[in-house]
Amino acid sequence: MPGKNLDFGKFGARGVKGSEAVARKLDELAGGIATPVDVKRGWIARLHYLTRSGKSRQAAQDAGLTVTDRTLKAWLEGKRSPSKANLARIDAAYRAVRRQNVARHLLKRLNREGRGTRVEIHPLDQSQVARPLQRVVEYRTLNVRRWDRIVGSWAAGDYQGLDAAWDDTIVDLGSQWGQYEYVTNVGFAA
Amino acid sequence: MSGFDAIDSLLAGVGPEAELPSLQVRRELRERARLSKAQVARALGVSPSTVAGWESGRDPVGEVRAKYAYLLDGLAAKFTTGTDTATGTGAGTASGAGIDTGTGTDAAPAVPSVAGSAVRQAGAAAEVLASSAPAPGEGDEAEEVLAVPEPCVLCGYPAGTRVAGFAQHLDAADCQATVAAPPAQPATAPARPEAVPVGKPASRTPRTSARPSGRSQGLSRRAFQEPSGPADLISEAVKAALAEHHGDVEAATAMLLKRAIPDAMRLLDETRKGARYDVIAHPWIPDILKKRTSRGADEIWEARPKWTRHELPPGRHEVTALDINGAYLSALKTHLPLGQLEHSAGLPHDRRRAGVHLITPPVWEHEAVLPNPIGQRDEPGPLWVTEPTLRLLLRLSGPKYGLCAPPEIHESYTSGATENLLEKFRIALKDARDTAIAEGDEVTLEYVKAMYSKFVSTMGESNYNRELYRPDWMHIIRSQAFSNLWLKALKAHDEGLTVVRAMGTDELHVIGDWRGVFPEGRGVTEVKVKDTYTAGIDATEHTGTEGEEG
Repeated sequence: MPGKNLDFGKFGARGVKGSEAVARKLDELAGGIATPVDVKRGWIARLHYLTRSGKSRQAAQDAGLTVTDRTLKAWLEGKRSPSKANLARIDAAYRAVRRQNVARHLLKRLNREGRGTRVEIHPLDQSQVARPLQRVVEYRTLNVRRWDRIVGSWAAGDYQGLDAAWDDTIVDLGSQWGQYEYVTNVGFAA
Repeated sequence: MSGFDAIDSLLAGVGPEAELPSLQVRRELRERARLSKAQVARALGVSPSTVAGWESGRDPVGEVRAKYAYLLDGLAAKFTTGTDTATGTGAGTASGAGIDTGTGTDAAPAVPSVAGSAVRQAGAAAEVLASSAPAPGEGDEAEEVLAVPEPCVLCGYPAGTRVAGFAQHLDAADCQATVAAPPAQPATAPARPEAVPVGKPASRTPRTSARPSGRSQGLSRRAFQEPSGPADLISEAVKAALAEHHGDVEAATAMLLKRAIPDAMRLLDETRKGARYDVIAHPWIPDILKKRTSRGADEIWEARPKWTRHELPPGRHEVTALDINGAYLSALKTHLPLGQLEHSAGLPHDRRRAGVHLITPPVWEHEAVLPNPIGQRDEPGPLWVTEPTLRLLLRLSGPKYGLCAPPEIHESYTSGATENLLEKFRIALKDARDTAIAEGDEVTLEYVKAMYSKFVSTMGESNYNRELYRPDWMHIIRSQAFSNLWLKALKAHDEGLTVVRAMGTDELHVIGDWRGVFPEGRGVTEVKVKDTYTAGIDATEHTGTEGEEG
């Protein structure tokens, strides 16, 4: 465990786990369908993405969309519409498949042939912490050269793996790296 | 040239044998330079085991001895200079030393190795000592003869001696001579120690010549030189583009326009070198600054003026449509928030911070003669404005102008601000623009224009520039341009002109003798006539052509 972060937020600090911020940013970079899944336009678009080819159907099945082909056909033709539970499954499957499809490209852009990407780490928000307990935590930047583990575990939906990969990355910040386990934002571009 | 070299080698051959440092020092020097025995051996034309022998008891003889002495001397000189500049990393020093040995072998019987070592006998030993500790016994005025000429601290040209730690020519005449020496000489000769020991000054001093490689190295070390600044980046890019397209102006311009955004980012990086603040490119962004949909807008009101006077004074008038030059370029000078925006509520305005503010704008009572400083807002009620708009309102509500009531600030997202963040960037672009106008260089002009306008328009959430994600800056810079235009309208009004229209970023229509108010020209402080037309009671409706220049 890096810093004394076991009970994060006890004194009013605010922030998210660094790895969560990274996942959020990666999702943002991956893009995708913006319309929410509970609108017809949204779920139809997701279903089209998931049933474009035999491979994507297989990927959707592996990602948890285990409905019969007959049901899928009925949904796509508009004869039936998915239940709430199935909408959640469609959304989850869409996110997983989208990540897998984008990961390779994203990884290439982030690694930039070994030059890596500059990552900005914005420290946690201490504005609600009592004055005597506030600590100086600076804004830091870091060039991350190897994104393979980070993007790999993100694409696989393995949040623990992502957390471990991110912790191993920010160790490069030096002895204060534990202060950056929780952050307000992690910024990078691909 | 070659004739002298031959004579030099003969002269040097007569001298006593070159002195070598002690065994440990030989080895230490080689290892510090990260040279392997094999590398050294290859350079000297012997086998690695011979080099090993030289480091453990044997001594080379003859010509190879002179070469070996030259190598060791060169290494010692490298390390003493390396400690001054402290830039040479291990790899750098090693490669540098490798080059030296290379030249030594290429010019096999040549001057520098033999002559240098002969001339330098006393110096070599002293220098080897100096590499580990300051030379004992000798005072501050210790003269060292350098194997590799270093730029003279006085004239910047290669000098072969170092006095009190500074490489310099021993004779003032040398400095003059090398400065005056035309660079016409091809000077392909290998590195030559030019200055001579004090004993025999007359023989070789007149033949000092500037080494091209030494010069290029020396230039950067000169004091008080104009650093090759960011403006060079622009002219070099233009030159390269023109060269690539063999002077085809259109093709070069098209290529430069395509590259404008990454080039602007590179220029920005260049101008922020050694600066106090980092450009923070990906801060946390409050929701009000996020677009709701990919093509939608966020909640910030930029106060774009879009105002036309309701009625003209009676009669027919000659209206001049003026165009403000480089409006966005000038607007780069504005108070930009540095870091992450922090929320605050109910606080008065802090001049040291900048950001976006939720305000209730004051009532504007001068709509008949002047545009509303917050633009054509249809909805009443509070709105999010940026720093320049708020500052403009605060200024206008102040005692000097007294044009409106102060705005009411409800909430703010602000951060510590500086006006200088993009200042160097702006100056570099402005200088390039001015030069381009003076020289009639359309390519550079277009390139500069594309650089600043695209930089501003893509610094937010744009896929064309992912290196910078600052929608707040984008809004602030635009608002600054609008605010500048508004102040020009006010100036025109105060000077007795009739303002007819204020539109977009750079369009101002006035009636009257505007030449007494605004200087005409193409500079950023000047205005340009876009159109003139007549308007009035009995005139038909006629509007000027819409903006052609950003």
